[in-house]
Amino acid sequence: MASILNSLFRLSACMAENGLLLMNSAMQSMQTSVEKLAGVEFEKPGMRPPLDGPRDVDSAVSDLANRTIRIARTSVMEPYQLATAAGDLVRAVQHSFGFVDWKNPRNWIVPLEIPLSIGTMAAQSGLRGLATFQVVGAKRFPQFVANVVEMFCEVHIYVSLQYKEIIQVHTNRLSQAPDDAVTRMELGRILIKCGRYVEAGRELRLAAKDPAVAAGAFHEAAVAHYRAGMYEEGARDGVAAMNLNPENERARAWLWQINRKMGRYPDFVPDEHRMEMKVGYARPKVEFEDVADKIGLDKTSAGRGLAVFDYNNDGNLDVVIAAAHAGCSLYRNNGDGSFADVSVGSGLDDCINGFAITIGDYDNDGYDDLFVTRLGFFVGEGSLYHNNGDGTFTDVTKKAGVNSWGPAFTASWVDYDCDGHLDLFIANNLGGLFDRKTPNRLFHNNGDGTFTEVSEKAGLRTIWPTIGSCWGDYNNDGLPDLFLSNAMGRSQLYRNNGDGTFTDVSTEAGFDDFCIGSTCFWIDYDNDGWLDLVQFTWSDHEDVVHTMKTGAGPADGRPLRLYRNNRNGTFTMISKEAGIDGCWGTMSGNAGDFDNDGHVDLVLGNGSPRMDRLEPLVLLENDGAGKYSNITFSAGLPTTGKGHGGNLADLFGDGRLCVLVAAGGAYPGELLTTSCFRPKRLAGNYLNVRLKGTKSNRSAIGARVSIESEGKHQYREVTGGTNFGCLPFEQHFGLAKATSVERLEIRWPSGLVQRFEDLPINDTILITEGEPSWAEVYRPAEVALTA
Amino acid sequence: MSETLVRELQEIGGPVSEFSLQLVEGGARDLRHYVNGKKGAVVVFWSGVCSHCVRYDAYLNDFTSRHPDIGLVAVASRHGETPEQIQGTIRERNLQFPIVYDPGSAVARQWYTQQTPRVFLIDSDLRLHYRGAIDNFKYAADPEYQAYLEPAIASFLAGEPLARNETASFGCAIQSVYYILPKPI
Repeated sequence: MASILNSLFRLSACMAENGLLLMNSAMQSMQTSVEKLAGVEFEKPGMRPPLDGPRDVDSAVSDLANRTIRIARTSVMEPYQLATAAGDLVRAVQHSFGFVDWKNPRNWIVPLEIPLSIGTMAAQSGLRGLATFQVVGAKRFPQFVANVVEMFCEVHIYVSLQYKEIIQVHTNRLSQAPDDAVTRMELGRILIKCGRYVEAGRELRLAAKDPAVAAGAFHEAAVAHYRAGMYEEGARDGVAAMNLNPENERARAWLWQINRKMGRYPDFVPDEHRMEMKVGYARPKVEFEDVADKIGLDKTSAGRGLAVFDYNNDGNLDVVIAAAHAGCSLYRNNGDGSFADVSVGSGLDDCINGFAITIGDYDNDGYDDLFVTRLGFFVGEGSLYHNNGDGTFTDVTKKAGVNSWGPAFTASWVDYDCDGHLDLFIANNLGGLFDRKTPNRLFHNNGDGTFTEVSEKAGLRTIWPTIGSCWGDYNNDGLPDLFLSNAMGRSQLYRNNGDGTFTDVSTEAGFDDFCIGSTCFWIDYDNDGWLDLVQFTWSDHEDVVHTMKTGAGPADGRPLRLYRNNRNGTFTMISKEAGIDGCWGTMSGNAGDFDNDGHVDLVLGNGSPRMDRLEPLVLLENDGAGKYSNITFSAGLPTTGKGHGGNLADLFGDGRLCVLVAAGGAYPGELLTTSCFRPKRLAGNYLNVRLKGTKSNRSAIGARVSIESEGKHQYREVTGGTNFGCLPFEQHFGLAKATSVERLEIRWPSGLVQRFEDLPINDTILITEGEPSWAEVYRPAEVALTA
Repeated sequence: MSETLVRELQEIGGPVSEFSLQLVEGGARDLRHYVNGKKGAVVVFWSGVCSHCVRYDAYLNDFTSRHPDIGLVAVASRHGETPEQIQGTIRERNLQFPIVYDPGSAVARQWYTQQTPRVFLIDSDLRLHYRGAIDNFKYAADPEYQAYLEPAIASFLAGEPLARNETASFGCAIQSVYYILPKPI
């Protein structure tokens, strides 16, 4: 019976989806026809900053809808405030439609277009809502939507530093009605978002005197006091919140966080509010210690993307970290266990509001360049920085022709046509709740330092908001294919046809269900020579607490998705059989063999923009027999936070893969510190391989490296960024106890295949395309870590 | 921005660029004014709308009484913030430290500063001893609280080498396209 109901539900959802898609395209066509008939042509959105507001009807309708919901959310709902809200609304209409020149009779067509535009907006929002409902289910849907609305309404306000006005609205109201606990609680929440935790705690405790809001206000007060480092006070609030609402699992999580910080639960926390952590204690092959402050990488900021690359070609791997509200930081690896902050004057310090960083030598001049995306929950213009080779970087975005305006989370370098020049792909998410899908952009490198946008021509159109994208040759035909991890939609796989076009093969490949996807990447988790796929997913806080409390996510939870490549163009999701059942709010992360056992492990950077949510970074260790186990806490990771730009790199050239995490969040108050977890010992032998393309792109992005060591094979593909951060190009192979690497094969993007025999172990080597022998980059040395 | 601006190199131990700016309440002040008769000065890039600077109001108000040998000046560089708005903020928050106005954020750019608050400790010869954050942004009651500027001042006054003469800055951006875009509400 249940399965019949399930099938019926799926069928109706499918019909609804098709209906909405049809409605969207029909209304779009009608709108285009109307515009054509009237001889009106509005500017296409997304090509330049909307400094004067919208310039076309669709953007205007979306903008007005976004403004209306923001006004509704930030207004105090009292009769005397309604006039203010109405005034705001009138201004919003004027602003959104300010581009229309009503004196021009041709523009009289606009009122006709508006209903059609509202229709397409409703269709697109409906599709996202449908996808979300399908994934999160009826029970979680209201809370999920409330969280999404809050985030989309507020990120813009805080990034624009307009928070002061909202504080003013609330303090004005409180000066007239000091007993309005609802407004006081909201003021407390706003102050937390600004980082004014002590004041927030005070307001929230005052608000909690009103029984109507006490449960929520105590919960928020626990958050404020935790963040102010006042753990015992926070625990008192957490207990009060749980006493009033025993089902407040989020408060349980905060009490646990306090327990982690204090090393114990305060005595007054009753047993029923405590939690025993049931995950993260599998037996690890490696243990870590945080060395960020020892080596000078402990940057406090709203850290975002973190990329590892050798910017000055001295052989040492350097680090660059983006920050949501500040400039990028560039850290030079001194090669002696210390890093120097060389941001000032590098040009990258001017790169503010950065989100993801992706590295690639687009002009093949021997120095790796950067592309930085901006604010994926808002809009922004990505920037291309040319590495001048002298420690400075120049913004060449416009000169190169890669300027595009959109809500980009991630971007990647890829040589999709294997012409030896790196092309650029930018994945666009959703900038406002009611925004239309901003197209993802594929820029083809013309080989002369300029790019041409070819997204449409390449057939990469999608209606779903995209957060993650990854390029990899899943079908072993020598061409990089594209996977899109879409938030609130279907995942998509595009097969590269080899003629500059792509075919959407999602359904036949097995990616045909809805998903709340975040970042993604290709790995060969089972060392069979076929790329498998990891797609991170984002779970509710309650599901995370359920995971922590019980050792597994709820039965209807959404753990990360591991897809096994069936070697025939199809994939099978095997998360469950791989032992991956924990639900986390994974936003970013990466893969690498951090225990040097020859099998690729995973790092999950978890969290959410919400200030009342922090959660641990998670390490999943691959046992080589098809199972992943969670070793987070047993491996010594104490952290709770918001992991962005999770990365893995052998920073000291000694074979130990460090786990680097830039932490932070969307709100200005979310200031966390970058961590660098380094294995305490070398857990197994290793070989690091760096590649330099000559005919292929110099960064060798897309090259496939395989090794055979004592009969065991491993495969890696050099990626050009899949995430908030991007992995170093250096390919790290763990060898466990093996003492030899008999063979190494490289399939370069140019098509050249090179084979080498009798490679060294515990060494870092460089192979240049076409050259018959490898060179040593450096020998490992014991380094003393110093700031 | 970086393509057109010619900036003097700024290094720890080296000289900082001098400036002459108007106080928000009127009257010109150059940088040397703040080191005259002092052993050094702290220059803080600051903004009245910065959601982080507000946390340091009491710290900055008390600074001069705690450090009579160290001058203090705040430089207001944030895009779009007017002297009138800053004067309003001074009254509203009872700020008692001098604030100079940096039109067009020119001094901030010359000083390689993209966000507020960011502090510089200089000696009376205008040589740079410390630049970066005031602390690690934790509250004083937090067991993880770490001050950066205060130990730097203590070492500087004692004539000892600074344990840490640079920390990464964080805070609110001084210039951002998001301040130029139409307001979200």
